[in-house]
Amino acid sequence: MSEDTPFEPVESKEESFGAETPVTGQTKMQAAWSGSDDEKSSAQVAQSQQGQIFEQIYQPWTGTLNPRWMRNWAILRHHILGIFKTGHRPWNIPTKLFIFFVIIASMTDVAMALLFGMIGEPTLYDIWGVNRDNLYGHVMGFFPRNILYYPIVAALLVGGMISEDRAHGTSALYFSRPINRFDYASMKFLAVGLILFFIINGTLAVYYFVDILVMGKGWAWIIDTFPMFLSAFICGIILSFTYTSIGLALSSISRGRFFPAIGLVAILMGTRAMASIIDALFDKSVLYVISPYDAVAHVCQALIGTEMTYDHPWVWSLISVVVINGLALYLLASRVSSLEVTRE
Amino acid sequence: MVRDLIIESTALTKAYGPHIALDSLDIKIEQGATGLLGPNGAGKSTFLKTILGLIQLTSGEGKVLGFDIRSQGDQIRQRIGYMPEYDALNPGMDAIHQVRYSGELIGMNPNIALQRAHQALEYVGLGEQRYRQVSTFSTGMKQATKLACALIHDPALIIADEPSNGLDAQSREFMLNTLETTVNQGQRSVLMASHLMDDVERVCENIVLLHKGKLAAQGKIEDLKAIDKEIEIHVWGSANKMEEALKDKGMKVRREGRVMRIGHTGDETYNSILQTAVEVGTQVRRMHDHEASLEDLFLVIMERLGHDVKSSEDLMRGT
Repeated sequence: MSEDTPFEPVESKEESFGAETPVTGQTKMQAAWSGSDDEKSSAQVAQSQQGQIFEQIYQPWTGTLNPRWMRNWAILRHHILGIFKTGHRPWNIPTKLFIFFVIIASMTDVAMALLFGMIGEPTLYDIWGVNRDNLYGHVMGFFPRNILYYPIVAALLVGGMISEDRAHGTSALYFSRPINRFDYASMKFLAVGLILFFIINGTLAVYYFVDILVMGKGWAWIIDTFPMFLSAFICGIILSFTYTSIGLALSSISRGRFFPAIGLVAILMGTRAMASIIDALFDKSVLYVISPYDAVAHVCQALIGTEMTYDHPWVWSLISVVVINGLALYLLASRVSSLEVTRE
Repeated sequence: MVRDLIIESTALTKAYGPHIALDSLDIKIEQGATGLLGPNGAGKSTFLKTILGLIQLTSGEGKVLGFDIRSQGDQIRQRIGYMPEYDALNPGMDAIHQVRYSGELIGMNPNIALQRAHQALEYVGLGEQRYRQVSTFSTGMKQATKLACALIHDPALIIADEPSNGLDAQSREFMLNTLETTVNQGQRSVLMASHLMDDVERVCENIVLLHKGKLAAQGKIEDLKAIDKEIEIHVWGSANKMEEALKDKGMKVRREGRVMRIGHTGDETYNSILQTAVEVGTQVRRMHDHEASLEDLFLVIMERLGHDVKSSEDLMRGT
């Protein structure tokens, strides 16, 4: 060490440790920092695992296969359970939330009847409690039920029901199995119909039976009102059936979920709007037969026995309901029969 | 060794109005792996739908696994695993539940289907990814999931429609290995429709070749290759003379520089070649049989059609 410089000059290192440095078995840290005793030291270098990590073994299966009804049950379960749990048909979150909202909202009449019944307010209870008009209104009331609730739920349900099988090619999954077209279409129909049925008729049943249980209605009242309830129940079935058949027919002619959904709402609202304009201008209610909602509503008014709001005979509306459903089911059947297995 | 027939048809015909999609097919497919070949529009898809029992025949008869394709479609489809060419998976579901659902559609108990779905996905190499959504899968993983859906009920026959379509080299290798394992280890039959001759050659022993709805050829690949058998020689000196001399003797010769391929017409061809070489003073430095690829074979068959050629014997006769 000289007096001018307090430290020994550092020798420049010629080696570089870039990507082009040949592999010597040393770790980079060791090569860069170790001293002159490199030869003696040894680095702990990770050893790569050698050998087979995946062994492919074919495992045979000798179980028995269930009959047709079990296969159909699987389709039905797949679609309905998807609303509640994962591992089944993936319904999107907005659809699930909206169904939940509609179930709650459909029971506002239950809550109001309970409230006014229990606080002993007979006038308000009469407005909300079970009677002929309220049973009709629970199923067929236009606002909000048949403009905001049921058609929208139906639209969300049918949106991708068949169209997505066409779009994703999942129809091949069904038809390459022992599933025939009738089973496929009927189980899809039943799945949508049952969800709508649960919302419409389930809440109707809650409304009726809660009134009996909580308000302590007697047998005389039950005998008096049960036919009305039954009529409203049948109306709920007709309504669910009609919305489902139109919606699935639209779903079967589409490859996306938007068109069938918006198409269903457009048909329900558009026909009604057109008929109401004609009615307002010319005082003719007959055009309501082209409106699925109004046709069902007219039939239900006749069934339940509430005041008729249409001038034309209700049988015309009944024929209209049959024709509308017939056309929708024909379209559904013909389109489902064209779903391909090999390619679209 | 004579093996059981899994598919057999007699004069099987399917017409859509005036268009004949399948024209009087007499097909016999043995157990094992069979390739279904043919250009676009040859009738492969119609044939697959026919053997799945999905379409009504115009005329003729057919049996798959011993079941009549006219009246026992359900029984056939219970015993077949079909792997479609195109996407057939719900992108919003995870693989395990997708495969389980496909098992339930066959008629499996849900719990057993779930257990079996784990095995099937493990088998196709998706054991670690089985809880991932299908929408996040690569093409190879989707293909593997479709195969798992087809295998869940351990079918006697797997129909794989373009199984290596769109796969990279590694995935393709794995898919073909899996099909081979299914045939060799699982003792299952595979009917593989593909445009990729290498894939068919790799997996299958037999082929069925369709062309314009007619049966162009069927049989063992090895047997069929014999129709295009050639002898390859590498010569030194007087190659032109050699070529001319061979042609003068009526041999079919293709030449590229010093390499010649001579049509094999029998064992005497070897002697004729050597005799000719002696006559023209050419050294034959190398001589060996040239094995045609399946692609060569396909081209030769197409060239020779003659769409009425229906067996390898006919083709070997060179009609």
